[in-house]
Amino acid sequence: MIWIAVLALLLLALCGAPLFAIILGAAAIGFLTMDTPLAVLHITIYQLTDSVVLMALPLFTFAGFLLSEAKTADRMMRLSQAAFGWLPGGMALVALVACAFFTALTGGSGVTIVALGALLLPALAKAGYQEKFNLGLMTSSGSLGLLLVPSVPLLVYGIIAQQMSQQLDMPTVEITDLYLAGLAPALLMIIALYLWCLWAMRKQPVPKQAFSFAELRGALWEARWELPLPVVVLGGIFSGVLVISEAAAVTALYVLVAEVLLYRDIPLRKLPQIMRESMVMVGGILLILAVALAFSDYLVFAGVPETLFAFIQTHVESKLAFLLLLNLVLLALGALLDIFAALVIMVPLILPVALGYGIDPVHLGIIFVANMQIGYITPPVGMNLFIASYRFHKPITELFRATIPFMMVLLAVLALITYVPELSLFLVR
Amino acid sequence: MRRLARWLNYLEDGLIVLILLMMIGLAVYQIVLRNVFSSSLVWVEPLLQNAVLWIGLLGAMIASRRDEHIRIDLINSWLKPSARRWLAMVVDLFTCAICAVVAWHSMLFLFDEMRQGGNAFPGVPSWMLQAMIPIGFSVISVRYLIMFFLDLLHMRPPMQEPHA
Repeated sequence: MIWIAVLALLLLALCGAPLFAIILGAAAIGFLTMDTPLAVLHITIYQLTDSVVLMALPLFTFAGFLLSEAKTADRMMRLSQAAFGWLPGGMALVALVACAFFTALTGGSGVTIVALGALLLPALAKAGYQEKFNLGLMTSSGSLGLLLVPSVPLLVYGIIAQQMSQQLDMPTVEITDLYLAGLAPALLMIIALYLWCLWAMRKQPVPKQAFSFAELRGALWEARWELPLPVVVLGGIFSGVLVISEAAAVTALYVLVAEVLLYRDIPLRKLPQIMRESMVMVGGILLILAVALAFSDYLVFAGVPETLFAFIQTHVESKLAFLLLLNLVLLALGALLDIFAALVIMVPLILPVALGYGIDPVHLGIIFVANMQIGYITPPVGMNLFIASYRFHKPITELFRATIPFMMVLLAVLALITYVPELSLFLVR
Repeated sequence: MRRLARWLNYLEDGLIVLILLMMIGLAVYQIVLRNVFSSSLVWVEPLLQNAVLWIGLLGAMIASRRDEHIRIDLINSWLKPSARRWLAMVVDLFTCAICAVVAWHSMLFLFDEMRQGGNAFPGVPSWMLQAMIPIGFSVISVRYLIMFFLDLLHMRPPMQEPHA
């Protein structure tokens, strides 16, 4: 009977039922089999209000929506061009840096390709880079920066881990620690991709651009209201003056004032609409987060993680083998599922198992998001490939070929991140 | 009926914008209070934490207007429109039912809470803040029921991909 219900749920999920409904159904069935009154659903959903960091999710998302609606992409592009354009492979570095920062701030990686792609692709072509190279670079940079502060996926991972730490024996997972741990891996990805760009262009060197101090000054001046933003976010969070939710509130207010009042990029009457759109996205995430918390409560009550751990342990002996398996599973999931859906479904299952193998929960968060980031560009179904294909009017197969070298570089970095925990943890533990 | 739906839409839109603004304002106000005047308001923290739930549910309600929820969509792109329509009807009915179950049990819990529950913070009983859960799931449930009937009558708006 149970199996029929579970099968029906899986089938419904594949047929495109909203994910929150599927998870709710699974939780309801689970609690019913344990003879728990279904009021528990209400109680676990209301647990959402226990979290003190959750407020950061709507606020950072709103700030990101504002930035992507404003002309921030243009200013960021001009500034990074003035600052890095004169280096060998300068434009490639410009693309990488601009994309990483923009994605960190706006979260949605599709937004980066749409907003920055329109600016960077012509600029790269004009600087003399080949088209195939440019397409690959843009597509793979579209999700670069998911590990950088104030990344929303890392925040969501942290919230789920904190929730679970109440029932599991594990070291704490502070959001600040996750952000600190993400810094080195994210920088390593940028550097590795840059080095690959230099190597790829060794046969057809691109003429260097002259460095212009006047242009740099002009670009800095143009970006004057946005430049303090990283200082506000990073300084506020890492100095300990502000907790994450407060830093998010300050960021939201700051961006609101900068884009609406100082730059006047966004007319006041468009503001309610942007607010609503951003909150609809937040609502979608929060809803599946809420029901996933209910579901993970059931899993822990029912002892599913222990069973899963015992099962995996009989087949996978070493930590290394487990990590390899984890990478494969997460890459596939990252390609198939929405990043937030993958987080809320998989973290409650994987976290206890990973703890059993002696993996640090902060390190697991970095592995998780790094895999998701590459999942975005994994053929044949990675979402960024489709967005790029749509945005740049290129057949999807051409994008596969263009992106694969970059993906290989990122996979190499992923291996480093996964098998060298110190890379993530040296700032934290 | 249609006018009622439109008023509900305005109400949701207005409320979500107001709560977001309030959230930013109150949180920043609290930071200023703490760092400049070394004091704080006790009710701000729980209010903000509940505001997140309200924003989440309101956002989810708005998302269900046009079926913009996060989903795994593997089968639909390979199906014929007619088959897709039948599947959509099954899926809508399922979503409607499960939301109704949650709304129902949540309401029962709320009645208990009304009789014996305490205050979330002075002056505001905690059931008032929790009331958003049954309201939210009821509205989502009704919206999917409407979607089911629209499909039955071949009038359903096209399915929306969630905003990337």
